[in-house]
This record gives sequence, C-alpha cells and structure tokens, in this order.
Amino acid sequence: MSLRRRMLLSLGLSFCILWAFAAAWLYSDLREQMRQTLDQRLAASARMVAGLVAQLPDNAWAKAGEPMLSIPQSTGVACQISSPRGRVLMRTHGDFAGQLDTPAPGFTDRVIDGARWRIFTYVQNGLYITTADRLAERVTLQRNVIVVAVVPFVVALLGSLAVLWLGISRGLQPLERLRGELSRRSPETLSPIGITDAPAELMPVIDTLNRLLVRTGDALAREQRFTSDAAHELRTPLTAIKTQVQLASRVPPDQARDALTRAEHAIARLQRTLEQLLMLARVEASQAGIDPTPASSVSIVDMALADLAECARVSVHLDSPAVTVDAPIELSSAALRNLLENALHHTDGTESVILEVQTACLDAVVFTVRDRGDWPPDQSTHRLTHRFWRYGRSQGDVTGSGLGLAIVATIAEHFGGALDFKARDGGGLVVRLSLPRKKPSAR
Amino acid sequence: MHVLLIEDDELVGSGIRTGLQVAGFTVDWFKTAADGRLSLASLDSDLVVLDLGLPDADGLTLLRDWRAQGLTLPVLVLTARDAVADRVAGLQTGADDYLLKPFDLDELIARLQALLRRAAGRARSLIEHGPVRVDPDNRRVWRDGREVELTRREFTLLQKILYARSGIVSLEQLKDSLYGLDTQVESNAVNVHIYHLRRKLGTGLIRTVRGLGYRLGEPSDIDGQSAQ
Repeated sequence: MSLRRRMLLSLGLSFCILWAFAAAWLYSDLREQMRQTLDQRLAASARMVAGLVAQLPDNAWAKAGEPMLSIPQSTGVACQISSPRGRVLMRTHGDFAGQLDTPAPGFTDRVIDGARWRIFTYVQNGLYITTADRLAERVTLQRNVIVVAVVPFVVALLGSLAVLWLGISRGLQPLERLRGELSRRSPETLSPIGITDAPAELMPVIDTLNRLLVRTGDALAREQRFTSDAAHELRTPLTAIKTQVQLASRVPPDQARDALTRAEHAIARLQRTLEQLLMLARVEASQAGIDPTPASSVSIVDMALADLAECARVSVHLDSPAVTVDAPIELSSAALRNLLENALHHTDGTESVILEVQTACLDAVVFTVRDRGDWPPDQSTHRLTHRFWRYGRSQGDVTGSGLGLAIVATIAEHFGGALDFKARDGGGLVVRLSLPRKKPSAR
Repeated sequence: MHVLLIEDDELVGSGIRTGLQVAGFTVDWFKTAADGRLSLASLDSDLVVLDLGLPDADGLTLLRDWRAQGLTLPVLVLTARDAVADRVAGLQTGADDYLLKPFDLDELIARLQALLRRAAGRARSLIEHGPVRVDPDNRRVWRDGREVELTRREFTLLQKILYARSGIVSLEQLKDSLYGLDTQVESNAVNVHIYHLRRKLGTGLIRTVRGLGYRLGEPSDIDGQSAQ
C-alpha cells in the first residue's frame, strides 16, 4: 500500500469517526436542552395564567355558564382552566372537551385526536390550570435545529477530507519527485541527485544518498585508474619485448644480440611487475579473520635477506630476543624485503643500508631501515606509497615496478601495523615499518 | 625524413629508434616532454612519435601546446592506455594517428609513411614525375623504367623535395630531415647529396632557387635533360 493511500485512509477514517461522535453528542445534548427549555416555558405559561386568574373576583366563575372560547384559536398550544369538581371554566380549544378532565398535576404526555401533546397542570386555590403543547411542533423545531447544526458539520467534514487529500498529495510531492528521479536513472549513473528544494525531513536522506554516490564514484574511479595504470605497466615491457625481438630479425647479428639482451631485460621487468601485482592482489584478498602462521621477528629478517641479491650491503641490528609477529611470515618478510630492496636501489653501491629491529615495545615490532640514498632532505614523502609512482623516473629510472612501497603500505594497513617515512638530513630516508605483536591470550 | 621520438622508456625507445633508423628515418629520441619541447623549437622535424605517459608532463599537454602554437606537423601518439575515452581525447587534442602498445614495428613504419603522404596532400603512395617513378614505402626509384640505386640520404632528400607542399625546401629543412640534431655534419654535405641525386636522376629534377633553397623541376625539364 502506498504511503499516500495509507495516510489518506487512516487520517480520513479517524476524521469521520471523530466528527460523527462529536455530531452525535451535539445532537443528543441539543435535544435534551430543547425539551427542558420548552417544558419550562410550558410550565411558566401555566403559572402566568394562574397569576392572571388569581386577580379575578371570587364570583367571576359563578357567572360563567358553558365554557367559552375566550382566546382566538391558535395552533400547537392550548390552555384550560377547570374547577376542582371537574367543571371546565375556560378553554382555548373546543375540541379538548372531555379530553383534559381531571388532569394530574405536573407534566404528562397524552394523545388527543391523533396528535401527541405535552401537558402541564398547575393547581392554585382549587383551580386546575392546564397548558398543552403539541409535540409535532417540537419535532419540527428539533429537525430545523439539527439541519442548522449538523449540515455544516457534514460540509466541514467533507471539506476537511478534501483538504486532507490535497495536503497529503502536495506534502508527498518531494518524495514522489525523488522516486521519479531515482527510477529514471540507469544503475551506472553516479551523479548526485539534483533535488535542492526538498523539505528538511528529506534533506538528510538525499544528502546521505549523494555522499554515498560520490564515495562509490570515487572508489570506482580509483579502481579504473589502477586498472589503467596496471595495463600501462604491463604493456610497456611487453612493447619493449616485441619491438626488440622484431628488431633482432632485421639488424646485423651483433646488434641483434643487443636487441635480444634488451628484450630479456624487458622480460625480467614484466615478470617483476607481474609478481608484485599478484602480491598486491594476495594481500588485498587475504582475510583478516584467518589466523596467520606465527612468524618470529628473526625469521622474518632471515627470510627477507635470503631473497635479497645484495644482502651483504645490509647491516642488521637486533636489539632483543625474537618475538612473534601477528602477520603471515610470507607477507611480513615480503614487506621487509621490499623496503630493503628500495633502500639498496636508491643507494650508491658502496654505501650500506642499516636495518634495526626493535622488540622493546609491548604491542608492536618495529623494523627501521636507514639509507643514505638519493632522497633529498626537503622533499615531501607523501607520494612514496602511491601505486606506480617511482622516484627518479624523470631521470629515466624505470627499473622498479612502482609497487614495492605500495605493497608494504597495504600489508601494514591490512595487519594493523604502520609505515612512515622521514627524509634524513644530508639525504636518504628513514623508513619505519611496525607490525603488531602476537598477543599471548590470542593463542 | 626526420622523426622526433618522445618516449620515456629506455627499452621501448631504443627499440623504436633503431627500428625506424633501419627503415630509413633519421631519429632523435628524447625521454622527457621538456627535452622534446626544446628540440622541436630548434629543429624542423617531419614527424613526431609521442608517448603519452611522460615523467615530467602529460604527452597530451605537450601536443595541445604545439597545436596552440600553430604547429601542423603530423603527430602519432603511442600509448599503453586503451580506454576509448583516452583515444578520443588524444585525437581531439590534435593527434593524427594513434597506436596502442604493444604494436608491430612494420605497422608503426607504415603509419608514419601514410602520415607523411597525407601531410604532403597525396593519396597514393606511388609518385610519378616525368620519367621518374618513386615508391616511398619500399624506398625504390625508377628512371625510364630502370631501377636506380639511391643511398638512404639521397632518397630522403628526394622524398623531402617531392613532399614539399610549398614547392621550395630550404637548405636548413633538408639538413634537419637528413641529420636531425647531429651537429657533426660537413657544411656542404647536403650539396654533395643533391649533386649525386641530379647525376643519377637528371639535372632538371631538382632546381636551385637562389637564396631560398631547392624545388622540384618541371617534368618536361627532366625529359630535356635525359635526352642529352
């Protein structure tokens, strides 16, 4: 059921019930009040007549023979004065003869000639003064009062229902517009929803939706950029291989050998880039919930150095006994190896690179790599972990994959560690990789 | 013909350079946009092969600047990015052709030849001028139906004069097309090649325009020379 229909139905029904109840109450109250008022007036008129009769001389009634019609006949009301013995002294209506004999004092209802009458009898000095009021007149009056009182009620009710319908329709218009806008969009559209004049209740919804759209768009753009960058990084060495191999078949043999050597370099680069990309994918795909193989800090260093071509240039300082790191050994040693490779790559062949392992901290192991490489002291280090960014590329240095430090940063982030860089005075970098220690309680 | 190659990758760049040299082009290769910009300001290149992913600037920015300066020389863009939007952006910026990495050396050469031909306002690759017939794609020349052997530089000279849209080619332009940025060139080297070309194909084929350079002779003039 649509929101509009639901609101219309519930509000409309409550309106009708409330108004009907109010109308019924008003009707019964009015009827009672009217009956009382008219009865009071009937009684008052009887007393008024009694007052007049009391001023007459005592023998006035003796002269009277037959009851006489002393008042011109009027419809709906009647009056009669009778003696205690039942003799009618005066009456307004001739046709009441015999009908109002010996009436009981007070109010009574009686049917006279097929019409219902309300009768009041007042006793004074032995005289019975009776006034009567035809009920038909009262009913007509009541009906008129109802028409005057209830019809505006009904009209007002119908009017409020119409206003309700209009109000709900107009009030729900922003929702309806939002629905229309959303249903018109294709699922790929990520542009923000362009409703600016929505009511305050709807604005947070639209804002949240727009923020979500922007975030999704950003994530998608990042993915696309990465894919595009990855394609570039894979195609470039492939181009070199293809070009050099084709060249080898159309140049003299000595040049052909050169071309094939270059092709081999390109193949090595392609292989490295592929391996790094796969490593990145593995890190990103690994589930945080899986209990990693515990790795001791010493074995991480050993494994990182074992795969390193120039491990002789690394001087290792272990300050304390081995502790267990809460990250798989394969990934943590790969991260450390990438740091060392990077430091060695940017350092003069005669300079050594210093690796310090600090286990003094209770919740983390800190690997610090210091080099005296070509990193200038005043350069900002924020781009170091950008994917496919290489320092020294403008000087034609494209031997790295541009992914090494990005992988370290991803590993650090994934396992709750940290990676930070500091340029050294006099050139070079200090890189600190901290990985969380395995908590004894977790075992 | 002179090709300005702007490609930052060592292995790709060296391959393209040698490949184009084998195909008879004179190549100067730069690895940055700044160097490419500088060289084009000082050199009369016939073609540019431009890689988009340069370390110091986007190749498209360079191309946009050149077109804004009114440079009309043909530019072939090399890129490893294959999104349609990238290609459209490249062509709209003023690239004449687009080649996706990895490419075939033969295709690159054929596309460069086609670009040169188009820049000269020619639709067919075979050129007939009086008794002389030239096939630039295969670098072969015939005179009266007999094939004539030309050196690489002689052929480039002939092609440059045949393709000259304005008719007259200056000595500087010829020198740039033949030697590029190579400064170790004898001052009369171009004249020596012109002399050999005239000797092999007829004196009337290339006319000297005093103070301006050289132009192609009328077909009838070549006939006249050959009759002697």
